[in-house]
Amino acid sequence: MSGYAEHGQLPLDGVRVCDFTWIVAGPQATRILADLGAEVVKVENESHLDSMRLGLQQDPSNPSINGSGFHSNFNRNKKGISANVHHPDGRKAVERLIAQSDVVIENFSAGALSRMGFDYERLKELRPNIIYVSMSGFGHEGRDSSYVTWGPTAQAVSGVTYMSGLPDQPPAGWGFSYLDHTAGYYGALATLIALHHRRRTGQGQHIDMSQVETGMVLGGVPILDYQINQREFKRIGNRSLRPSLAPHGMYRCAPVGTDDDRWIAIACEKETQWRAICGVLGIEHLMNDSRFSTNTERVEHQDELDTIIATQTREHDQRKLMYALQAVNVPAGAAQNMADKMEKDPQLRDRGFYQTAPHTELGVHRFEGFPAHFSQARWRLDRGAPTYGEDTVTVLRDMLGFSEAEIKRMQSELAV
Amino acid sequence: MGPLDGLRALEIGDGGEVTGKLLADAGVDMIRVEPPSGARSRQTGPFVGDIPDINTSLHYHYLNTSKRGITLNLDEPRAQELWRNLVNGVDLVIDSTGPDHLDQRKSGYQACSDHQELVWCSITPFGRTGPFRDWKVTDIVSMALGGPPMSSGYDDHELPPIRSDGEHSFAIAGVYAASAILAALWQRGSEGVGQLIDLSMHECISATTEGAFANWEYLQSIVQRQTGRHASVDLSAPTQHQCADGRYVLLLGGGIPRSRASWEPLLEWMDEHDAADDLHDPKYIDVIYTDPRSHAQERDHVADTVARFARKLTSEEVYRRGQSMRLPWGIVRRPEENLDDPHWSDRNFFVDGNVHGHEGVVRYPRAPYRFTSSPVGMRSRAPLLGEHNTEIFSELGLQSDELTELAITGVL
Repeated sequence: MSGYAEHGQLPLDGVRVCDFTWIVAGPQATRILADLGAEVVKVENESHLDSMRLGLQQDPSNPSINGSGFHSNFNRNKKGISANVHHPDGRKAVERLIAQSDVVIENFSAGALSRMGFDYERLKELRPNIIYVSMSGFGHEGRDSSYVTWGPTAQAVSGVTYMSGLPDQPPAGWGFSYLDHTAGYYGALATLIALHHRRRTGQGQHIDMSQVETGMVLGGVPILDYQINQREFKRIGNRSLRPSLAPHGMYRCAPVGTDDDRWIAIACEKETQWRAICGVLGIEHLMNDSRFSTNTERVEHQDELDTIIATQTREHDQRKLMYALQAVNVPAGAAQNMADKMEKDPQLRDRGFYQTAPHTELGVHRFEGFPAHFSQARWRLDRGAPTYGEDTVTVLRDMLGFSEAEIKRMQSELAV
Repeated sequence: MGPLDGLRALEIGDGGEVTGKLLADAGVDMIRVEPPSGARSRQTGPFVGDIPDINTSLHYHYLNTSKRGITLNLDEPRAQELWRNLVNGVDLVIDSTGPDHLDQRKSGYQACSDHQELVWCSITPFGRTGPFRDWKVTDIVSMALGGPPMSSGYDDHELPPIRSDGEHSFAIAGVYAASAILAALWQRGSEGVGQLIDLSMHECISATTEGAFANWEYLQSIVQRQTGRHASVDLSAPTQHQCADGRYVLLLGGGIPRSRASWEPLLEWMDEHDAADDLHDPKYIDVIYTDPRSHAQERDHVADTVARFARKLTSEEVYRRGQSMRLPWGIVRRPEENLDDPHWSDRNFFVDGNVHGHEGVVRYPRAPYRFTSSPVGMRSRAPLLGEHNTEIFSELGLQSDELTELAITGVL
């Protein structure tokens, strides 16, 4: 795989995370930490089950809390315990886990973990230098902190939805919870920053994240532009305004079998690329057309140009055209769907991006990889998500020091 | 004190600015290294007053906060030597110049390998290996190959898949790179060794399409893009509606409440406008508890009635009052509209700064996390081109007459 030796070391070996996260944003954060070697212990309880356990099911006719491939992809490499914090012994188990953890992380609505009896003050009593990461929609501080969000809500409020789409159409937004990924990425990063700070100073702290803020930072340039140039943001579709380039867009290609939704992205940054595009598409006569002789002219006549280009690309196979354009150094890429990425993308295959791992009930499946290789370390893919409570006994016994007899009693009382 | 105070870094290339900013805002002494003609983002507008100038790009200003800036022409052997000296004094390098660019100039990871504790993060469009490693990309090409556009767009598939404005390929990869770097530095703290990180933007974006992955891997289904909502295998009900003031709101889940605690106040609110239609009929209470795939007819009716109601109100009212009854509804704002929302003032989200060439204070978004005991956020505005040449090269022991000579001969 890509010439990298498989070094045994996991970069975050020895870091322990007590993980109360659910849905997507929080699990995305702890997925990164777990991929890089942190020991992540998810704490769950049926009374507020992670609804993603009932999300996309491998067998839709027979849904099960252990049947979601979606959940498995976001929770791989983690350990899972079930514990009822409203039972004294269940609470004791969670408290022992917190006392032995470097990080407590959650993405409940603001105040929910506190109502479960684990506010930051209590966490500090259990582990004085704990790093507590809360990832709510609007943050714990501020007048609207009680507002509830899912990814799309945060996308709408932050400006991320508005920025995506054609100028003469409603916002297209993002067709998935982009800010669940994003909040998760920033959540993992914030955790790592805090770990470094603690290693240097000995201090833990509370990191108060807001998912909407993780979207607002993606609109920083328009925010400055509005204040300095009084310009309101306008959508540009697939065009390139800054820098101003043409041709630049998503052009329809020939159908593949019955699939008539095949598109290619083409960008032209230089005159050499313009001539190369004309050559590949068989429109050399446009090189001498005054409407298209410079980038400035092409931008001015962009509507006409896009129509001409799209007429040509419609005759071409998406992937063959991509290879032909790249062969002459033109930035071009097929708009890939998931099947394209997983079955037809030689780059992802060569890099070993999709790897397999077992899940106790779902069997062996592929997973999305970690997007980097390390020369002196590895990321891991040991197994899929834990089934509900899969590691309760081993974690309570081996990590938290409960006896077999105690665990049996706790189980019979539904404490764990 | 920033949480990463004490770490020193170099950032070179046009694809690592987000990573550099994230680490610099957290306290890393980040030196942005540019060619004497300036980084690409300096040529990219908008500019102050819309007048292009090497030092007034808002794009550059936003992505380069808290950094110091120097110039080096790495085509010159003397500059390569200075670069290697600089590398010797830092903890990490963020290199987005491409798989071979620095190696060809005796300035790559191998050329600096005497520095055993160095962490070097290579950010490239596809990684340093593989059949696409030398392919040309821009943001739209990276995003297309990685998958988000095929999930984003409109119900009408005569309209193209949409790549959002905002250079998200760099944003996505930039955060991954920052985490990978801090993980490698963490390992260094335990073991004393540095390493090379080979990060692929294509892989970062490919991991950022949520449910599309599981739909294919587990059900061999492909999700289809829809207007303003999640791509889905089967068409789902609209969630984005235009209100009386012309602006859009998001009524998540078709606007159907998920609990009685939201359902009853919603009906009261609708009654105020005589808009509840027949929703008081007990048969509709069931839809809030059930699997979205059952009670299709009732669900559609509730969604239609709620949407019709919302469209008659103003967007702000729908958003605020909906949230007051714990409905996860949103208003579709332009990015700059959040400047006026007092909630963000409560959180000190916008922080005062300045932009070269503009008089007066400019409010910048701070980092997307609030650290309660070690502040993270902008430390200084982005550097002017070569602003810190004297300061930084003096630290290497160069005298001012040497610096003048290097500038005249095109080394700096």
